[in-house]
Amino acid sequence: MAESMTLDDYRLSAEPAYHPCGQEIAHYRAAYAARLPVMLKGPTGCGKTRFVEHMAWALERPLITVSCHEDMTASDLVGRYLLGPEGTHWQDGPLTLAVRHGAICYLDEIVEARQDTTVIIHALTDNRRILPLEKKGELVQAHPDFQLVISYNPGYQSVLKDLKESTKQRFCAMDFDYPDPGIEAAIVASQAGISEGTARQLVQIAGKSRNLRGQGLDEGASTRMLIHAGRLMEAGLDLRQACQLALITPITDDADMRQALAAAVDACA
Amino acid sequence: MPDQGVRPRAASDPDLSDATRAAFPGDSLTAFAAAHARLAGAGYGAEVPRVFASAARQVAALHGAEAALALGPAASRLAIRARPRVAALFLDTAVAMARKLDAGDFVRWQVLIVALLRPAPEIVLPLLERMEMLVERLGLDMLDAWIATGLRFAASDRERRLAFFRLELPEARRLLERHAGEDTFQSLERGLRACHRALWGHLPPLREALPAGRGGAARRTSFAAGVIRMPASYPGHRGREAALYRAALAHLGAHFAYGHGPFPVGQLKPMQIAVVSLIEDARVETLAMRDMPGLRRLWAPYHIAAPEGVATAPSLFSRLARALFDPDFPIRHGWVDKGVTMFRDHLERIGDPAISRHIGNLLGNDLGQTRVQFNARGHVVQPVYRDDNLGLWDFPEDPAHPPPPQDEMEIDSHDLRRSEATDRPRERRQEAPPDPGQSPETLALSSGDPEAGVTVMHLPEYDAGARIERPEWVTVKEYDPTPGDPRFWQRLQERQGPLLARTEALVRMVDMGRTRRLKRQAEGETLDLDAAIDAAIDHRSGRTPDHRVYEGTSAPERSIAVHLLLDSSRSTEDRVGSQSVLEIERDAAAVFARATDRLGDALAITAFSSNGREDLRTVCVKRFSDDLGMLAGMALSGLTSAYSTRMGAALRLAGHSLARVPRHRRLVLLLTDGEPSDIDVPDREYLITDARRAVQSLSAEGIDCFCIALGPGAGETVGRIFGRTGFVRVERLDTLPEKLTALYLRMSR
Repeated sequence: MAESMTLDDYRLSAEPAYHPCGQEIAHYRAAYAARLPVMLKGPTGCGKTRFVEHMAWALERPLITVSCHEDMTASDLVGRYLLGPEGTHWQDGPLTLAVRHGAICYLDEIVEARQDTTVIIHALTDNRRILPLEKKGELVQAHPDFQLVISYNPGYQSVLKDLKESTKQRFCAMDFDYPDPGIEAAIVASQAGISEGTARQLVQIAGKSRNLRGQGLDEGASTRMLIHAGRLMEAGLDLRQACQLALITPITDDADMRQALAAAVDACA
Repeated sequence: MPDQGVRPRAASDPDLSDATRAAFPGDSLTAFAAAHARLAGAGYGAEVPRVFASAARQVAALHGAEAALALGPAASRLAIRARPRVAALFLDTAVAMARKLDAGDFVRWQVLIVALLRPAPEIVLPLLERMEMLVERLGLDMLDAWIATGLRFAASDRERRLAFFRLELPEARRLLERHAGEDTFQSLERGLRACHRALWGHLPPLREALPAGRGGAARRTSFAAGVIRMPASYPGHRGREAALYRAALAHLGAHFAYGHGPFPVGQLKPMQIAVVSLIEDARVETLAMRDMPGLRRLWAPYHIAAPEGVATAPSLFSRLARALFDPDFPIRHGWVDKGVTMFRDHLERIGDPAISRHIGNLLGNDLGQTRVQFNARGHVVQPVYRDDNLGLWDFPEDPAHPPPPQDEMEIDSHDLRRSEATDRPRERRQEAPPDPGQSPETLALSSGDPEAGVTVMHLPEYDAGARIERPEWVTVKEYDPTPGDPRFWQRLQERQGPLLARTEALVRMVDMGRTRRLKRQAEGETLDLDAAIDAAIDHRSGRTPDHRVYEGTSAPERSIAVHLLLDSSRSTEDRVGSQSVLEIERDAAAVFARATDRLGDALAITAFSSNGREDLRTVCVKRFSDDLGMLAGMALSGLTSAYSTRMGAALRLAGHSLARVPRHRRLVLLLTDGEPSDIDVPDREYLITDARRAVQSLSAEGIDCFCIALGPGAGETVGRIFGRTGFVRVERLDTLPEKLTALYLRMSR
C-alpha cells in the first residue's frame, strides 16, 4: 500500500543514542501502553526530541515530527485538497497520516502554533481519539498505535503565548532538564567524540552558564551546544575558541554577560 | 640700575637678572617690568609680584614672552576676585603647567582658570592645590568637563561646590575616575555580578565600600555577615581594574565556597591572626583551583613578591603567599620553607579549615620568636586582590572595647598610598576628611516635599559638555494626585462634545499596527490557495462557489501603547484666552485618552514637573493597568502648575514604563508649552541635549517619542529635541483633532 510505504520513511533505522537520566523511559512506556498523550517540558537542547526518537525506535513505531510555527494553520496539520490533472484529490497532513497509520506524532514547540490550530488536537487527546476532517467530511478513528507527543518550553512562556488550559489538561507531562554532570559529560564525550576529561570541562562551563539563567540569560548553555563545542574541538579548535563559537556568541549579545561567560570558560580551562 | 628705560621703583623693582633679560628679549622686557610694576603697585602684598617675577621668567623660557606676560593680568584678576594668596599659588602652579603642557594648551589652561572666577571664584584654590594630579589624570579637555560637571553637580550650593572640588564628596572622586576613563566598581558592577554568579552559582549582596571615617577609601575587598564590600576603585592599577576586580571577587567566592564560618579569635595575637588568614587564603584558593584551574591565571599576575630581600614581616608574608600559590617559586627563607612544608603535609586534609588555624598558629609563633617586627596597624593584606580578612574572624562584639585586632588590621589608606600608589601622581595635600554633616546617604535628599513624594527610581542624564551619561542622576518622585472634580468627564462632554466625536471619528480612520495574513477575502493581491481549491471543488461538484478566494496581507491588528506626558511646570499657569495652558493640556489629554480608550490602545498618563535633579515630580494620572474612570478624571482636573521642566528625565521615565508593555508599537507623547529648564541648570543647552539624547536612546529601544507643542513659541527647541517630523505645534485646542490625525499618520508610516 502506498501510504504504509510512506510511513516506512518515518521509521528509525538505527537506534538514536539516548542516555536515560531517571525513570523517563519506564514512564513513557506506561503512557504509551495507555495511549495517553504526552507533553515534554524542558529547556531547549536538553534532549526532548532525541528522547522521542529513542522511544519511537524502542517501541518500533514510525515517528512524524512537526515543528510548529506561528503561521501554521490547521490545514498544515490535517491536510488539504490539491488540484491535480484529474481534478482534486485529498492530501493527508502529517497529523492525519500519523492518526491513520498508527505513528507517534510529535508536535515540537507547540506554543508557537496559533491557538486555533492547537484545538484540532482536542478530540484526539481525550477518550474519543478521533480526528474530524471537516473539509473532506471524514471522521478518522485513530489507529490503535497512534500517540500524540508535544514539547513545550516553559521558559518561553509570555503574556502573548501560552497553552490553553483546556489543551494542557489533556496531557501527561514529563519534566526534562539538563542531565547530571557525570551523565552529561558521558553524552557530550560520546556524541562529540572527545575525551571524557574535555567533556567534563565543557559540562562544568555549561553549569556556570546555567547559573546565569534568569539573571541575564534566558537559558544556560544546552547539552546540544556542548556537543557542538566538542565537535569544534575535535575539528581542531581549542577550548576557548570552541566555547566562544558554539556557546558564548550564540547565547547572548550582552557585553557583560559575554564577559562573565568568558570568565567562566577561563576559570574552567 | 638697569638702563632699559624702566623708571626706577624702589621696593617693587623686579630682579632683572641675566636670566630674566634672556627670557624677555627686546621690548618684552619693558612689558614685563610694567606688568610687574602693576602687580607690585596694586596692593596685593609682596608675594604676588615676587612669584610673578620668577614664574614669568620660567614660563617665558618655555613658551615665550607673550604667554608669560599674560600671567600678569590673570594673576591680577585672581587676586581681586579670589585672594592674593590664590594668585600666588596660580603663578606657582603655572610653572608646573608650563612644563607639562605645550604652548597652546598652556594658554587654554590659563583661560580655563580665569573663566572660573565668574561662576565660582572659591573653587580656584582647591583646584590649584590639586592641579598637577588633575591634569595628569584627566588631561585638559576632561579637566574642563569634570569642572563643568562639578559646577552643575553642586548647583548654587557654595559649600557643596567647595566640598566637591576638595574631593571630599565620594561623587567627586567617582566622577573624577569616570572622566579619567578609569573603570570603577560602579562601571563594572553588572559584569562582576554576572561573573560571580556564573562561577559560584549564587551572589552574596555586593556593595561598594563607603569611604572609611578618616577620609581614606577602602583599598581591599571585605566581607562580613555575608555582604561583600568592594573598593570603589583601585587607583594604581589603572587600565587593569576589570581583571583585578574579577580576581578579587573570585577570591571571595573561594572563601564563600570553601570556608566554614568565621574562626574564633581566642587568645591569638595580631600576627597569628594575619598568618592564619594567609594560610586560609591559600587553602581556599588551592581548593578553588582544583575545581577551576583557570583561576590560577586570574590570580597569578598579582603574586609579585621576590624570593629574596629584607626579611620584614610584609615581605615574608608576600613570599609565603606566593610560595603557597606558585609551586615553582624559589624558597630562600627558612620560615617560608617551613610554611610551605607544613601546608604540603596537610594537603590530604585541605578541606578542613582547622589546618589553617593549626599551621598559622605555629608559623605565627615562630615568627614572633624571631626579631621580625610586625606592625599590625600598618598591615595590608597582599596581594592586592585578596580581602582584608576581617570576614574570616569572629571578633567579640563589645562596643565599649572594640577588638584590638580589627582596629589594628584596618587598612590605613595613607600608608597604602605610600606603599602601593607609586605610579599615582602626587597630590599636593592629603584629602581632607568628609564633612560629617554631608554623609553620602544624605546627599540625595536635600530638597523637595518629603511627606508627599515617594522616590520611585533614579534615571541617568546626559551631559553633552562632558560627553557622558551620568547614571542615577535624576531622582524620580511620585506624588499622590490632588483630587479634583469627580464629574470631570461629564463636564468635558458638555464642554467639548462635538470635539470628542470628531476626534474619535478621525482616529478610527487611521489603520495602524502589525500586518497579518487575511484569508478568504473578497479582494486582494494573491489567491488564497485553500479558498481557491474549495471554490474549484464546489464549482466542479455543481455547488455555488464562495467568491472570497483572495488573500490580504494587512490587517488592523492594533497593538499600540502610548504614554502621555503632561508638562505641569510653572509656565503652564499662563493664560491663553480664557484657559490656562495646563487646562488646555488637561482637556487635550482627556480628549485623547477617550479616543485611545475606545480603540483599546494601552494608555498611561503622567504629569511631571521638576525641582532640581533630585526631585522629578510626577503625578500618575493613569497607569497602563488603570481604567479611564472617575479617578483618572479627578487626578487630571486636580493638576496644578509648579516648578520646572526636566524633559529628558520625564521622557526616560515614560520609556521605562513602556518597556514592560507587550505591544508592538510604543510611543511617548509629550504635551508641553515650552522648552526644558530647571533651577539647578543655568545652561539652557544642557537640558535640550539631554532631552534629545533621551529621545534617541528610546528610539533605539523601539520606543518613539512625539511632542505636541502648545503655544506659538515652542517650535524651534522642540524641533531640535524631537526632530523635524517628531512634533506638531498646537495653538488652539480646537485644532487638536486635526493634529492628532497627522500624528497618527506619521506614526503609521
